[in-house]
Amino acid sequence: MPLLEVKDLDVRFAVRGGDLKALRGISFSLDKGERLGLVGESGAGKSVAAFSILNLIARPGYIAGGQILFEGKDLAAMGERELRKIRGNRIAMIFQDPMMTLNPVLTIGTQMIEAILAHRKISKKAARDIALDRLRKVQIPSPEKRLEQYPHELSGGMRQRVIIAIALLLDPEIIIADEPTTALDVTIQAEIMALLLDLCEQENVALMLITHDLGVVSQVTQRMLVMYSGRIIEQGPTREIINDAQHPYTQGLINALPQMGEPGQRLFQIPGSMPSLKNVPSGCPFHPRCKFATEQCKQAMPGYVRSGNVDVACYEVSNLIEQEKRMQEAES
Amino acid sequence: MTSPLVSIRGLEKRFDLSGSLLEQITFEGGRFRRRQEAVHAINGVDLDVHKGEALCVVGESGCGKSTVARTVMGLISPSAGEIHYDGQRIDNLDGKAALPYRRKMQMIFQNPYASLNPRMTIQQTLEEPIRFHQPDLSPSQIRDKVHEVMHSVGIDPDWGSRFGHEFSGGQRQRIAIARALVVDPEFIVADEPISALDVSIQAQVLNLLMDAQESRGLTYLFITHDLAVVEHFGTRVAVMYLGRVCELADTKALFDSPRHPYTQALLSAIPRLEDDRPNHIRLQGEVPTPVNLPSGCVFHGRCPYANDRCRQEVPRLIATDGGTQVACHAVEEGRL
Repeated sequence: MPLLEVKDLDVRFAVRGGDLKALRGISFSLDKGERLGLVGESGAGKSVAAFSILNLIARPGYIAGGQILFEGKDLAAMGERELRKIRGNRIAMIFQDPMMTLNPVLTIGTQMIEAILAHRKISKKAARDIALDRLRKVQIPSPEKRLEQYPHELSGGMRQRVIIAIALLLDPEIIIADEPTTALDVTIQAEIMALLLDLCEQENVALMLITHDLGVVSQVTQRMLVMYSGRIIEQGPTREIINDAQHPYTQGLINALPQMGEPGQRLFQIPGSMPSLKNVPSGCPFHPRCKFATEQCKQAMPGYVRSGNVDVACYEVSNLIEQEKRMQEAES
Repeated sequence: MTSPLVSIRGLEKRFDLSGSLLEQITFEGGRFRRRQEAVHAINGVDLDVHKGEALCVVGESGCGKSTVARTVMGLISPSAGEIHYDGQRIDNLDGKAALPYRRKMQMIFQNPYASLNPRMTIQQTLEEPIRFHQPDLSPSQIRDKVHEVMHSVGIDPDWGSRFGHEFSGGQRQRIAIARALVVDPEFIVADEPISALDVSIQAQVLNLLMDAQESRGLTYLFITHDLAVVEHFGTRVAVMYLGRVCELADTKALFDSPRHPYTQALLSAIPRLEDDRPNHIRLQGEVPTPVNLPSGCVFHGRCPYANDRCRQEVPRLIATDGGTQVACHAVEEGRL
């Protein structure tokens, strides 16, 4: 049994004039100690997916259907009281902007100890020792001093280290990291990503990494999901997808990277932009931008087909696979 | 070699932190003291931008790259140093004398959500610079010009009566580019023009900038932190650290064989698709504050090759065999 299993999750936002479908039947699983990347552009639904796992979707958003099974228990159907035992304790979350996550008027120590005491019945002294230990794990110099400091006294990179230390406080099984390094410089990003990867491996923590940066995904994760307009359009082993993407959108996303182009030559570009949730195209949501689109794509949403170890939602890919099968049969 | 289009000489910029005279004065140990503090954003930068090239300035937050862009454009005045455009010094010109240069030099900003006036239609936004710089054009000529530019950046001219908020981020950036192009500039300063955009949109806007460069013979000063974009787009690259240029090279040379230890660390930190694990060069510590600059080479506190000379003497940009210019004592002495 996987550690976390999301089944047919539907998340909607109730607004005037009907519901906006932010997630439309997404399913995936996460094993113990596995590192999973969630990739997509703004508006694809990556962050909504992460927030809904912890049932943190605020009104007018709501979970309209599906299950989120954590060790077999459905988080989507769980009461607030029970959820609190899991949130921050068994499943921790790291957000993009460390200045927004840390309370500016409390010292780092107060915030860390508070988080421990909310979940464990131990003495303040013992909690302080745990906090110190975690600060050492994230390689913060002079951790005793840091406990007394306020967030504004630390640099951006240090703050993100503190955030990771806080996520590790209660030995979680899963860390969900939503664009943890997007606000940071490249050299700091590299440090933080390496640290996060090392810690997840040492402590055997599962990581769900949400990012728009395919380079980071390829460095850190073992499996990845590609999202587009509230749907998972491709999922499978990271290396396999990066090297040989099946879905036209994933291919476009990879080929649009400057490092894939010849210097000085035009880059490959996907025409148009991601549709807004207010007017999602019929059928496959990518069809207005897809060069392979046919009548079939405009009519119904494609189901998943397997290609190698990758699941893809695309008629073109499934037709190609069919064709290949027929040719092989004809040969034999 | 022909003379450069834009030439920056000994540029320095300090931002005063200490406030008014009264705020500077403190009473300590029986006597009054005056304290002055400043952020040293740029500390002696020399750069030449040649006609038709795209000179990229890269570096991390706080290295002074945006300040260079703004000083060149005359949006802020330098504390010391000179800026020349086509042989003419422009940093000391008054409003009227600077006017022709304001047309020839245009700027594209990072955030298209902030750089478009929300109360003007796109048509108004694009007409305003023409009306200002070419007052003798007739309304129909202005309209034609706006239509032509909108067409060339891929914005439907029929959308002219819409407002900025009705467009997506990528479209807004196209409009911002159109606004820069509409007065037929020669030189464009682009300050992180694609970093607020999604990957697939970044490629669209980058292509647009390259098309415009080719069809209009533009020269770019391109400010970015994204090294992958530089590798693709730049003719030459200047790497900045704490207000100084530490390496200046042709793009290919820089990416093939970076010489300065900071450039090496920076390049190794780019996450690449072919990587299975992060494999960056680890630097010690963090970027020091630009309020109290380190003595000698500004990078010495984090540099694995630093010695006594690095701690005392400021390195100058020196040309190496490959044509790359590097400001590093270790490279100069052959230690690296």
